[in-house]
Amino acid sequence: MILRTVLRNEWRLLRSDRALGLVLGVFALLFAYALANGLAWVNFQEQTLAVAREGNVERVQSLEAELQRIADGGRPSSPFRDPRSPSVLGGASGAQTAVLDPGPLTALAVGQSDLLPYYYDVSIRTNESSFLQNGEIENPLNLLVGRFDLAFVVVYLLPLLILALSFNVLSGEREQGTLALTLSQPVSARGVVTAKLAFRAILVMGLALGVSLLGVLFSGGFGSPGRVALWCAAVAAYALFWFTLAAWVNGLGRSSPWNATVLVGAWLLLVVVVPAGVNITAGLLHPLPSRVEMITAQREASNEAVNQRSELLARYLEDHPELAGGVAADEANRAALAWAATDAVNRRLEEVTSVHDERLAAQQALVRRYRFLSPALLTQEALLDAAGTGDARFARFQSQVREFAEHWRTFFVPAILAGEQMTADVLPALPSFRFVDEQMREVRARAAIPLAALGGLLVLAGAGAVVRLRRVTGPH
Amino acid sequence: MIRHILRKEFTDLLRDGRFRWCAAIVGVLLLVSLGSGFVETRRAEAAHTAARETARDHWESQGEKNPHSAAHYGIYAFKPRLPLSFLDQGVDPYTGTSVWLEAHRQNDFLMRPAQDATAGQRLGALTAAQVLQYLVPLLIILLAFGALAGEREQGTLRQLLATGISRRDLALGKALGVAGALALLLIPAAIVGSAAITIGSPGPAATPFARGTVLAAGYLAYFAVFVALSFAVSAWVRSARTALVALLGIWVLNGLVAPRVAVDLSKWLHPTPSAVEFARTMEREVSSGVPGIERPDRGETTARLLAEHGVETVDDLPVNVIGVYLQESEEFANQIFDRNYGDLWNRFERQGVVHEALSVAAPLLAVRTLSMGLAGTDVEQHRHFATAAEQYRRDLMRRMNGDLAENSRTGETYIATEDTWAEVPAFQYDAPSLGWVLRNRTLSLAMLGLWLVGAFLVAGSLVRRAEVA
Repeated sequence: MILRTVLRNEWRLLRSDRALGLVLGVFALLFAYALANGLAWVNFQEQTLAVAREGNVERVQSLEAELQRIADGGRPSSPFRDPRSPSVLGGASGAQTAVLDPGPLTALAVGQSDLLPYYYDVSIRTNESSFLQNGEIENPLNLLVGRFDLAFVVVYLLPLLILALSFNVLSGEREQGTLALTLSQPVSARGVVTAKLAFRAILVMGLALGVSLLGVLFSGGFGSPGRVALWCAAVAAYALFWFTLAAWVNGLGRSSPWNATVLVGAWLLLVVVVPAGVNITAGLLHPLPSRVEMITAQREASNEAVNQRSELLARYLEDHPELAGGVAADEANRAALAWAATDAVNRRLEEVTSVHDERLAAQQALVRRYRFLSPALLTQEALLDAAGTGDARFARFQSQVREFAEHWRTFFVPAILAGEQMTADVLPALPSFRFVDEQMREVRARAAIPLAALGGLLVLAGAGAVVRLRRVTGPH
Repeated sequence: MIRHILRKEFTDLLRDGRFRWCAAIVGVLLLVSLGSGFVETRRAEAAHTAARETARDHWESQGEKNPHSAAHYGIYAFKPRLPLSFLDQGVDPYTGTSVWLEAHRQNDFLMRPAQDATAGQRLGALTAAQVLQYLVPLLIILLAFGALAGEREQGTLRQLLATGISRRDLALGKALGVAGALALLLIPAAIVGSAAITIGSPGPAATPFARGTVLAAGYLAYFAVFVALSFAVSAWVRSARTALVALLGIWVLNGLVAPRVAVDLSKWLHPTPSAVEFARTMEREVSSGVPGIERPDRGETTARLLAEHGVETVDDLPVNVIGVYLQESEEFANQIFDRNYGDLWNRFERQGVVHEALSVAAPLLAVRTLSMGLAGTDVEQHRHFATAAEQYRRDLMRRMNGDLAENSRTGETYIATEDTWAEVPAFQYDAPSLGWVLRNRTLSLAMLGLWLVGAFLVAGSLVRRAEVA
């Protein structure tokens, strides 16, 4: 009953407080701006992918036309690009672009989607070095700074709004002399603080979640309700963490300026200093394995391969009787020789890459451990995972493209080795790439870790707040 | 009198536990970031030097082959780290570190370190530049927000002014006290920084001391802007609390909001094509040319050569038609690359100008651009290196095609000797001069100057009119 009175009173106070209204208004604008940005980025990605898909169709059509023309007695337009040759049809001229559709909630969190590739051209030339390619064309300066998206507003700015609204929920009452009056009613300090913070939490989270859902609505992300729920859970947990922290600090019974200083200090530490400190520690203790030696290894492998082509072919045919289809090494054609060399280079590259990838995975696992030091890092991870713009989804895409490339090779290589010629009939049978998206179960399992850690922090701050607030009796 | 105020303010700050803590944290972060940056830069540069030597070795020991095969084999170039990049890694993690220089095409720089990092690592790297751009201004705010507003709140401002000191001298004394406290933090960092520059790194010499001096001056100007802003706000608003909130608001706008707004604004004003579109356009133009840049035709080249030498058949020509034709194709393709890459780079640079121009609202954008420029880690210097690498590629191709054209005849199987490769000079990169960097950064310099003058004028005027109670 009393709590309802407190809530109603807060609402009246808020409506009469111009400054507060202004702050909320500014944040509403920031949210809207961030959302518009995210939607524009999704739009750009979708248009780009449409172009890539169109390219796939056009390439097949032009190959079909050319093959038809040759079948009707025409001559290939270039002796080096005769599409009947499987190494041409499966090579650059017949390449298929494998695409990753934007994550379901990319409009909310751009994440890694501006940095990591979301389409690859796959052909028989695809090998490990193909995965070294850059992502979308983007000014490195812009990549460095990052986007103004909802995830940024939530992780960096939302805590500031929360702190501005709640640093003096209790100390303010004490300083105005209204605390004694309030506590003379049948209500505890804990009750008052909870009611006041709950009121603010409803406002702030209503704003943050409302804008998020609006974004989901505009970008058609309701197809994955599980991700939307995860997103909302992460936003809510993070916001509640800051409210609880504010309650705790208020419970310490110091002045409003002191509260403000401590809370801003906590924000600075957890949101700005710790993530940067984590980086520096990671860089010093777990340096990134160098990619440079991969290039060296690749060069050495290709030197060797070129020098011993025919030998390589014999070995290749022994290793892959299933692909050889009865071809003996001595009837080798030029394309088969070339393929054997390519394959040797690819094998060597795979060796080098797998060593590198193992070291990289170990390094990243070590770096990831540090995220438990900051709720901002935990929240960012959960948000990106929910949005489908985190590292995991891109790694999944890459590994599926790798499998697809293997599939593509097994389609063409036997024909290359046998020196066969291809006709327009194979075109409908060409392998095609389709990204199999993450199961909600996997996303949940992954996001459960940061969310649980965030929940732990929340409980910790909550316990601190409860203990301190219980001791608050009235003005000192 | 100013001296007394200065000494009092300075002693007060040193005795203040809050300042001691904050300064210790910022100081440690600054020294650690300097040290780790230095170690990291040396490590990367050592790896690149080794790779550069191996790449050259591969090139020289590729064995006897046709020069055009050698051109296809090509060579890798690795981007060097300039000596000052340990202070500010700038865009380096987001630009590739190496490029393959091969026949027929200008390749992109590959292997961006950021692509191997986790998403969490994008939230911010702690470089010395980051500490100087974000944390030192925050420290200044904490030191100065109460300078006048606090005295006014406590009622001591009236007493102070009763001694006959002018408001201006009072504020000046206090500001110098703040500066003195900051100096305790910055001087050791400057010493460590200079020591690191003296020890040096194996990268190309790029007048590190001159660059470092201008860099230090730029940062000092930036700090002075924050001191002036803090005093202006402290003189203007009634309570110390309001001053703190207002200054923190400025800090958030300056450091968090404005840079990202600049990203979106720059992309909106100067959009860049998608990688698919870019590759498509280039492919189309290379295969069929554009008006004014016609693709060479082998038949025409042959006819022209025959006419020039006044002979009937290619066998009588003193040159290999293939070599001449390949070189003409290179030159044709180079024009297409210049068109497309040139346009892209120009867009990047125009986007950079948007970032610089927006520094009218946030001095961080000016000092950051200046800092990256002087450290040699901005987009313009990446372009400078990319251009040098591409020039080297073109020279290499010219030599290979020239060798083919002059030392063989059309249709013959020509194998060049192994010495041919060693005769090609190694790729040598000279970093741009300080003058070049500063010319690129005039807008940032002007903006920083504008902020400095503006902040001091506003602070002066607000301090003079500061109310006593």
